[in-house]
Amino acid sequence: MTRYSQIAGEGRDASDLPVWRSADTLDLAYVGYGLLIVALVLVSYVLGVFNWLPHDPEQIRFDLLNAPPGSAGHLLGTDFLGRDILSRLIVAIQAYFLPGLVAIVISLVVGTTLGALAGYRGGAVEVLATYFNNLVDSFPRLVLILLVIAAFKADIYYIMIIVGVTGVPVVASLVTGKIAFLRQKHFIEAAHVLGLPSHVIVLKHILWYHCGPLLVIRATIGMGEAILIETSLSYLGFGVQEPMPSWGNMVQAGANYFFQGKFWPSTAPALAILLTILGFHLLGDGLNSILEDRGGK
Amino acid sequence: MVHPGRRSEVGTPHAEWRARSGTFGIAPPVFAAEAVKLSALRPVTLVLSRELALTALLLLGVSFVVFVILFLAPGDPFSVLLEGQMPSHEARAGIRDALGVPKTWYVQYVSWLGNLLRGNFGTSIRTGLPVFGEIVRVGLSTLYLTLGSMLVTLLIAVPIALHSSVRGATPLNRPFTLLAYLVSALPVFWLGYVAIYLFSHTFGVFPLVSAASATADRAWLYSLLPICVLGIGNGTVSEVVRYLREELSRVMAEDYIRTARAKGASVWRHAFKEGLLIPMTEIIASKIPFILGGAVIVEQVFNWPGMGRMAWQAAQDRDFPAIMGIVMIAATLVRLGSLLQRVVYVAVNPRASKQRRGAGWAE
Repeated sequence: MTRYSQIAGEGRDASDLPVWRSADTLDLAYVGYGLLIVALVLVSYVLGVFNWLPHDPEQIRFDLLNAPPGSAGHLLGTDFLGRDILSRLIVAIQAYFLPGLVAIVISLVVGTTLGALAGYRGGAVEVLATYFNNLVDSFPRLVLILLVIAAFKADIYYIMIIVGVTGVPVVASLVTGKIAFLRQKHFIEAAHVLGLPSHVIVLKHILWYHCGPLLVIRATIGMGEAILIETSLSYLGFGVQEPMPSWGNMVQAGANYFFQGKFWPSTAPALAILLTILGFHLLGDGLNSILEDRGGK
Repeated sequence: MVHPGRRSEVGTPHAEWRARSGTFGIAPPVFAAEAVKLSALRPVTLVLSRELALTALLLLGVSFVVFVILFLAPGDPFSVLLEGQMPSHEARAGIRDALGVPKTWYVQYVSWLGNLLRGNFGTSIRTGLPVFGEIVRVGLSTLYLTLGSMLVTLLIAVPIALHSSVRGATPLNRPFTLLAYLVSALPVFWLGYVAIYLFSHTFGVFPLVSAASATADRAWLYSLLPICVLGIGNGTVSEVVRYLREELSRVMAEDYIRTARAKGASVWRHAFKEGLLIPMTEIIASKIPFILGGAVIVEQVFNWPGMGRMAWQAAQDRDFPAIMGIVMIAATLVRLGSLLQRVVYVAVNPRASKQRRGAGWAE
């Protein structure tokens, strides 16, 4: 395809995408950073589960309140009760790790099913799926979660079911779009001619061979969203409660001291949130430009 | 605002030729005139009625979902009313009959829906006031917050997107993109703390407590802070940038832009509608839920008397009528946003009354 930039003689290369995207090194750097964050989260989760921590996360030390990073063996300092921030950050990963996986599994399984049915069957199924997607998209996620908290209880798994369900429309529309794209291809036509049953075509030739990258990308971005929701809710006081640590309630607990000029106790968990969510986003987007946008659309 | 039709030529071999052709000045505002052409009006009404019907259907679904959640919730007002008095099942049923509570769930749903349609959202358990009036009262300040923050998001995202899609590779591109990613991952509550600290303590610009205690001439200034924080920190900046950039790059590569360029017409004028206006309304409409969700947190941080704070309070107190009303109103706002987007889309592009664009944008 000829680009207007070539016609205009602007000397850009013929890539179909903006340059930062076709610059593979940058995408690779994104993915590398993302994988580093994923590895860090995994390792920290394991450390937290087996309680291999530098300090006891609930040990209170009144002689070391709001200590700066690096003081007295506390690598990341201590919080307003003198508890080790690094250990608490590590333990806090448990607050979102498994619930986040639950949310991802729900949105991927339901979304893929719905998207495959809508894309392959079309007709009334597609109309219904579109209605469902629009319906779910009508709810602001956080407000719907607050409704569920009011109606049932502030259980993180209930919340993550809602996060999973509200993640369905994106997955479903991605899968539907992918199937609509693949259906024009010769190999699907060939599969029809060979008389393969529909479920084999959909499950094996479409989903298994061609939707893997898409679902992995969605899973990483979904994990980022789950972390954001969990930290936001525990910040608002609905998720994990003190003394159990969560990145959100750690930021909240440090707030009073923040305005007194002791920034660290609330900034450390905020940085953890920032770097982790950034990692998942960059991983997803880097993978997306490497795996999905490769062939153009 | 950046003017892509012009800026793309700066420093290229063709710039001089284009400057001579003399047609690359700032586009005259023909857009508004075109949008109200008579031929475009009919499809608007046509699509508007269809979209209105669709919106009504979706809101019906929303109300049903809310009803189901409340219906499944453990405990009902009767167990509170009868607490420790008449535990037997028959007595309970008798009270329900006497109070005229319908037995079946669908009759309950229909009567509840009828009340909703008449604007009767029930009375708040906490304050005892009608929920609807209270939501309208606080809803206005939330609307102010969210609309303002959308503007801030666009003010950040549009220049970045224009810059990178029109000028292609520049040294600023990567820092901008990374910045957009960083900003999207920032936890908005912490950003709020930083903003409050900076502006209240260091610069001493804003009063710390709340908008109410601000002096009258400073009140509007104070409200700028949460608006900017929500606009920056609602987590949608990088997606808005990416979507706008992709759409604008796609449109810039279209044949009709090439034709416009070849005959020396204004590229900006031809690319504006499809390349910027439509993607902008689309992405904003699809991000309204996120912005409303972000408002819950920002209102908490800044003590902003809005719907988000009310929702938080209602969830704390298990105040069903209040949170239910807020969910309904928020969902209505979301639907109205996408209705508006469709109207703009059809007004700009009358062909659209025949087709329907897929929903798979932005990701």
